[in-house]
Amino acid sequence: MAQVSQPPLDLLAIRTKRYGATLLDIVREHKEYWRQIFQLAAVDLIKTYRGSALGWLWAVIKPTVTIFVYWFAFSVGLRASKDVGGFPFFLWLLAGIIPWFYIQEMLTQGSTNFKRYDYLVTKIRFPVSTISTFVSLSKMYVHLALLMIVVVIFVLFGYPVDVYFLQLPLYVALMFVFFTLWSMFASLLSAMSKDFANVVNSFVTAIFWVSGIMWDVNLIDSPILSKVLAFNPVTFLATGFRNVFIYKRWFFEDTFALAAFAIMLVGMFGLALFTFHRLRRDIADVL
Amino acid sequence: MKSDVVIEFRHVYKRYRLYRSQKHRLIGIFTKRVKYREVFANRDLTFEIRRGESVAIFGKNGAGKSTMLKMITGVAFPSSGHIKVDGRVSALLELTAGFDPEFTGRENVQLRGQLWGLDKEEILDLEKEVVDFADIGVYMDQPMRTYSSGMKARVGFAISASINPEILVVDEALSVGDKAFREKCDLKIKEIMAKENVTVIFVTHSSASAERVCNRGIVLEKGKLAFDGPIRAAIEYYEGPQEQSVLSS
Repeated sequence: MAQVSQPPLDLLAIRTKRYGATLLDIVREHKEYWRQIFQLAAVDLIKTYRGSALGWLWAVIKPTVTIFVYWFAFSVGLRASKDVGGFPFFLWLLAGIIPWFYIQEMLTQGSTNFKRYDYLVTKIRFPVSTISTFVSLSKMYVHLALLMIVVVIFVLFGYPVDVYFLQLPLYVALMFVFFTLWSMFASLLSAMSKDFANVVNSFVTAIFWVSGIMWDVNLIDSPILSKVLAFNPVTFLATGFRNVFIYKRWFFEDTFALAAFAIMLVGMFGLALFTFHRLRRDIADVL
Repeated sequence: MKSDVVIEFRHVYKRYRLYRSQKHRLIGIFTKRVKYREVFANRDLTFEIRRGESVAIFGKNGAGKSTMLKMITGVAFPSSGHIKVDGRVSALLELTAGFDPEFTGRENVQLRGQLWGLDKEEILDLEKEVVDFADIGVYMDQPMRTYSSGMKARVGFAISASINPEILVVDEALSVGDKAFREKCDLKIKEIMAKENVTVIFVTHSSASAERVCNRGIVLEKGKLAFDGPIRAAIEYYEGPQEQSVLSS
């Protein structure tokens, strides 16, 4: 028979915790369960793409169709497809929209984690803080695959990998951390109330159009507006990917944007910790 | 050497907050000014269970048995009070649950093995044991959403029974499944209990089976501990007032 190790349960400790202790808990749970996190990320991938004839291909088909539709609408329909920085509009679009597919998945699916994995919360003893992490990781696998395809496309178009690509892992990591925290925050709230999930869903399209994925944020006239926009993490990330592929700029060149993103990241961290601390004990009762 | 007390409840309350609507619940996270009603599923539960004891839990529907068991298994948390559980808990309750409906029975067994942190070989052993015990044939490789409740119960029991528990929580949900399977389960439970130092918590309405298995009884009434003592006395206390109803079948 298998020997399953289970640390003793001491619920008084959980009861009287402070925020610092909650944070330590989250770190400890990730440390103890890192193997399971990777396994569950794979499980999540299978769960997402299982049951359709084309399976994995959907991970590529959906973004391809989206990109084609936008490209068609902008370059054929609106005739608004000028070259940017010597790059064809299509490549410029590609560079900025590729992080959006991950972001979109995290905004929508990432906020329903506890519904998708309710059995991990209500039926077995499982460190629920890791759920957002493995879901985010699973979406990240798809993102990395898409990113690789994009790099290949750039090379095929005759734009080889250069030194600016070194900062790509940084942007990917920042995106991963930010939206994993978001997912922890949002899935707790949407487990508590359906209203929250609806709010998120109705804002996804708005976020997409407001964040400068389809238009060049560098062309904004108003300095105030561009400062305000810098506080939008989606803008920071989309611009960051374009810094790598198109603009050939370093992440530290725009210190204001970097600082603004850092503030938002700390804010999201605070929100995630606050909600987790407040709701971790109640979550099994409301699911 | 582990301590002798494996389960300890000290002044445990479990409070559920009932809000007027989902919206109120959402706002209530951030401010205390939203009104809600409080219901107590458990009130001031204080008891100790020692290693090797087998305890029957009696109580009508809504007496707070499930909430108490959930806290013992560690999926629910007390609103106040202190709970200590020392040992591997295996819960044979709500047998139909804890599975991902999209995955096959076999995949769910592997998933559970991974969640428990078992290595590849141990998972293979677990899989073999569960397949043998559940005995549901080709359905093992079908998604679990296509299972009947009896089939889910079979896989559920097989998994829970196979982790060599130190604390075994058995809910009467076991009555799912046909007679032959129930007998198989009874045998398995006895086999687990025969091992030294296994603590058993047995939730049932059937005093006959409780008396066979347990030496101590706890009666819950409206969330409170109404009686705690030897099994015979507990049964008398529980069945006394409402003379032989459907409960003692």
